[in-house]
Amino acid sequence: MALTASDVTIRFGGVVAVNRMALDVLPGEIVGLIGPNGAGKTTFINCLSGTYRPNAGSALWGGDELIGLSPSALLRKGVARTFQNVASLHDLTVLDIAKLGASVRRDRRFGGHLLDFFRSERALEAALTESILAPLELTDVAHKPIQTLSYGRRKAVDLARALAGDPQLLLLDEPVAGLTSHEGMAMAKAVRDVRDRLGCAVIMVEHKMDVVMSTCDRIAVMAAGSKIFEGLPAAVQADAEVRRVYLGEP
Amino acid sequence: MSARQLAITVGVAVLMGVLGLALGRYAAYLVNAVAIAALGALSLNLIIGYCGQISFAQGALLGVGAYTAGNLSNAGLDGAVAILGGGLLGAAVSALVGLPAMRLRGLYFAIATLAAQAILEYLFKILDPLTNGVSGLVITPPTILGFPMNSDQSLVVPSLVILVLAWLAVSRLMRTDLGRAFLVVRESEIVAKGMGIDVSHAKMQAFLIGGFIAGVAGALAGYANRLASPEAFTLDLSADYIAMIIIGGLGTWPGPLIGAAFVVLLPEAIQRVGEAAGISDILSALRELAFGLLIILFLIFEPRGLTALLSRLRPRGIGAAPHGSVGAPGESGQPQEGGSR
Ligand SMILES: Nc1ncnc2c1ncn2[C@@H]1O[C@H](COP(=O)(O)OP(=O)(O)OP(=O)(O)O)[C@@H](O)[C@H]1O
Ligand SMILES: [Mg+2]
Repeated sequence: MALTASDVTIRFGGVVAVNRMALDVLPGEIVGLIGPNGAGKTTFINCLSGTYRPNAGSALWGGDELIGLSPSALLRKGVARTFQNVASLHDLTVLDIAKLGASVRRDRRFGGHLLDFFRSERALEAALTESILAPLELTDVAHKPIQTLSYGRRKAVDLARALAGDPQLLLLDEPVAGLTSHEGMAMAKAVRDVRDRLGCAVIMVEHKMDVVMSTCDRIAVMAAGSKIFEGLPAAVQADAEVRRVYLGEP
Repeated sequence: MSARQLAITVGVAVLMGVLGLALGRYAAYLVNAVAIAALGALSLNLIIGYCGQISFAQGALLGVGAYTAGNLSNAGLDGAVAILGGGLLGAAVSALVGLPAMRLRGLYFAIATLAAQAILEYLFKILDPLTNGVSGLVITPPTILGFPMNSDQSLVVPSLVILVLAWLAVSRLMRTDLGRAFLVVRESEIVAKGMGIDVSHAKMQAFLIGGFIAGVAGALAGYANRLASPEAFTLDLSADYIAMIIIGGLGTWPGPLIGAAFVVLLPEAIQRVGEAAGISDILSALRELAFGLLIILFLIFEPRGLTALLSRLRPRGIGAAPHGSVGAPGESGQPQEGGSR
């Protein structure tokens, strides 16, 4: 399925954080979203993932309107996001987080919890370890509480959570920021592998240009809430306006 | 739960049972008191320690269980049915107590539970036909599954069996999606929402389950005292339960039992010493002060309570919770938002 976002606008008091933002993403495509600090990238992701409700705009996903749905409803539709800042959730292990990610696809009212109580999680654990944790190099820490992990590994755990829900549309907010270059490379590779495996559509907000250039099929540039450019990675680097606004050249 | 937790739970209960049955009436009385307090603390640890919803109404919820079970068994029902009834009404009332948590958070919710405690205490006093007002409802010793509960010793086995069942159920619960959702809600509702957790639903489940266990604990308390009176289920009792889970260790696995044993047994010990030395009046006045101080000290220096202290004494000790540096519930190190700030 493809995403067609158009006219997405959200205001906070007098600030128009996102202004008539439009973006299309095809299945199997990784679209990079770059722009200076405060450009509205995270806010745009928040609008698509149900965290914020935009004042106006539409986000069609295979004919369904995503705007107005709650994060949990969106997750059931296969729209998952990762966070720019990862929460340190005490007492939960890496595997626990992955299980939480997997649980969102199931609607669990009407006694579902009671069934959980008697159901063994062995099979689920094995499946998550093999298909989600192993590619992200998290197998060795599967039973570690996540507050004991490095920042980079916690970001990988957040991605694991999103992936455990079998996403069709993956919204990544700076997955590589704050990681060592080795961790960053592994993360970028994991994102490409997921796209290849699931064929999902990906929006990746990121500042690290080398990662953006090597990972994304297409790049959109935001500044002051609006999209100022969109094109192939090479075209973005060549564009004078982008260089001035974003790459800080005169 | 793990096999180790199962073994520890059953082992501790058997030990308590042997002590309670072999050492006479007073030991049986103490074992019952600890088991009942541990049940109440278990229920509050679920609500505060795991789900992060600070409640001051747990004492009144025990009262609901005591009055309900007392009336049911006085009317001729078997104690087992009456205890179940106490649990069910406890769950229903707890859901009402938790209702404001759908909208309020943190301190504001805590204050709402204070109001709930006050309202319930008032109801205990005025719902005369059910509660017999300020003088309290006298509870005839019931039979549980046919066994007469006419002595402290006779109540030991039912109390401990129920404690073990509740303990194992909560341990198991914490290894399901719902239990894991509690822990995320405790850390940050914003993060929980972003992860697709139905926060209101999770909180409501915590109150229902916690209320059920509290109601059952109250039913047993009524049978142990043969009386359900308004003075027995005041804010003081709620405060005692909060003391237990903080001293035992918030959100830890063995914490409720350790805290309950500490809070129940220490005053008894002080009393014995005081009687022997002829200064019991002064010492019992010091009790509240001592617990208040202990709570503050634990909150500042060891939020994981005695559980953490004990597991530090023994590196591979009973502190089953993965060691963390949890502050008070809901107060995570970095409360990260669903996006940038
Ligand atoms: N909840 C909010 N209330 C008020 N203003 C907000 C809110 N969320 C975002 N903003 C504002 O919207 C603008 C865009 O912020 P946003 O976080 O989307 O930027 P960003 O592109 O993600 O930046 P960065 O690269 O630093 O992460 C900023 O001016 C920010 O202050
Ligand atoms: Mg951002």
